[in-house]
Amino acid sequence: MELGHGRKPIVERIMEPAEAKEKIKNLVQIPIRSQIANEVIGISYGFFSPLQGFMGKADVDSVCKKMRLADGTVWSIPILFDLTAEEIAKLGLKPGMSVLLTFNGNPMAIMEISEIFDYDKKEMCKAVYGTDEAKHPGCARTYAYADKFLAGNITLVNRPKINAPYDPYFIPPLEMRKRFAERGWKRVVAHQTRNVPHTGHEWLMKGAWFQTYAELPIDKPYVGVLVNAIIGAKRKGDYIDEAIILTQDELRKSGYFGDHNHLTSLTFWDMRYAGPREAVFHAALRTNLGLTHHMYGRDHAGVGTYYGAYDAHNLLATVKDELDIVPVYSMNWLFCPHCGEITSEGLCNHKSEWQKFSGTVVRSIVVDGVKPPRLIYRPEVFDVMMECGEKYGFGSPFVTDDYLEKRIPVFEIPPMK
Amino acid sequence: MSEEKFPINIWINEDRYAKLSKAGLGDLCEEMLAGLKVLRVYADAAQRDKILKLFPTAKFDSATTKSIELLPKDVKDKIFDTIVEKESVDIMAAFLAKF
Ligand SMILES: [Zn+2]
Repeated sequence: MELGHGRKPIVERIMEPAEAKEKIKNLVQIPIRSQIANEVIGISYGFFSPLQGFMGKADVDSVCKKMRLADGTVWSIPILFDLTAEEIAKLGLKPGMSVLLTFNGNPMAIMEISEIFDYDKKEMCKAVYGTDEAKHPGCARTYAYADKFLAGNITLVNRPKINAPYDPYFIPPLEMRKRFAERGWKRVVAHQTRNVPHTGHEWLMKGAWFQTYAELPIDKPYVGVLVNAIIGAKRKGDYIDEAIILTQDELRKSGYFGDHNHLTSLTFWDMRYAGPREAVFHAALRTNLGLTHHMYGRDHAGVGTYYGAYDAHNLLATVKDELDIVPVYSMNWLFCPHCGEITSEGLCNHKSEWQKFSGTVVRSIVVDGVKPPRLIYRPEVFDVMMECGEKYGFGSPFVTDDYLEKRIPVFEIPPMK
Repeated sequence: MSEEKFPINIWINEDRYAKLSKAGLGDLCEEMLAGLKVLRVYADAAQRDKILKLFPTAKFDSATTKSIELLPKDVKDKIFDTIVEKESVDIMAAFLAKF
């Protein structure tokens, strides 16, 4: 038995199609949007263990007020399924009913409705995001929910078809744990990312690898880095998903890492930008994936100026005895011309000479397509990023209106056989 | 009082640096990051306005750097080529005359 977050067993809530075909006959159907489909996958494959479904009011209330599920397990972000009162009335939904959730018009999951409730969104925002300002993207997402929430367990009845080029990177928790065991890794450190890696990012991973390796013997490779890209709602100007996942993997393929210490994967999740609370959520998610360590830099998963640089670290410290994943804190890496290398701001003392990785400069280099020195971008990584822009990004490795409208869906729910 | 000038940043990698040096302009570059250099080409106010009109994606960063940003890649490539060809960074008038 594999134990996940909260030391609860990880259970895949998936019904085989032969059995499901009978079960879904005559169920009321509810079409769901991509956020909810992402979360159905998160629940049913155990990424969100111990959650078995969308939350009820007691859990939501406890998550908001105590950062715990009603049973006491640490949990930081409400996982909600919303519908309008009109839809609920029209479909005649009631607790005790089972319904069929559909995506792209095809059956995806059964939901056993246990409760229909409402919750003060402003209060939810203040608790989760520390603000109720509508311009915070997490608050905006909360305010966009319909007025009623449905709780209930989820069972996947039709597995998603992951489209190329994403398919090799969808590795659910139980499978991930097998991969780690095959590689003989005793410790694995998670790198949360939504970036195409420049060498500053590469060194964040390398630094975390050293920190994680610590006192382990060196006769065999015992420590891996898992890149776990968050794939979900995109904003204009983000890197396109194809470029993120393929360039991260390129670091391994081109030998900057290797099979013995590096693996790239993805998780479907629409970023909430909840800063400290998102950091705690990431800890739970990566515990379920079988990781032992988790990288956190400054202002982890933050947005704007809502959170202090170390707020996430401080919040993690309050629950550290209940988490089964060790936070690895990362300082920034930069180029020092005096040292002639990428170095840590915690190491080098040529402060007046430092050349930092500025987001604007890096972005401008990419936009201009001027191949930078290998100490900024690995040439293979830069080439893959540019190819992805051509092949998937309508000419740009950054998200544009065209990309938002016409991109290849990451997954589809196929018709049921 | 001299007229205000607005920079366009042209990124200079090793390839480009070799070309610039051949044109005798290598010294005009400034180190930016890990061996990547920047060459600043300046526009005056009238030229800036013409650029913003010709290339609608471009933005003028009026708040901080006073630089002209987000020019299309091919435009910046052409600016660079013109600099190498004319062996001078004072090319904005000649460059804009092409449009
Ligand atoms: Zn140094």
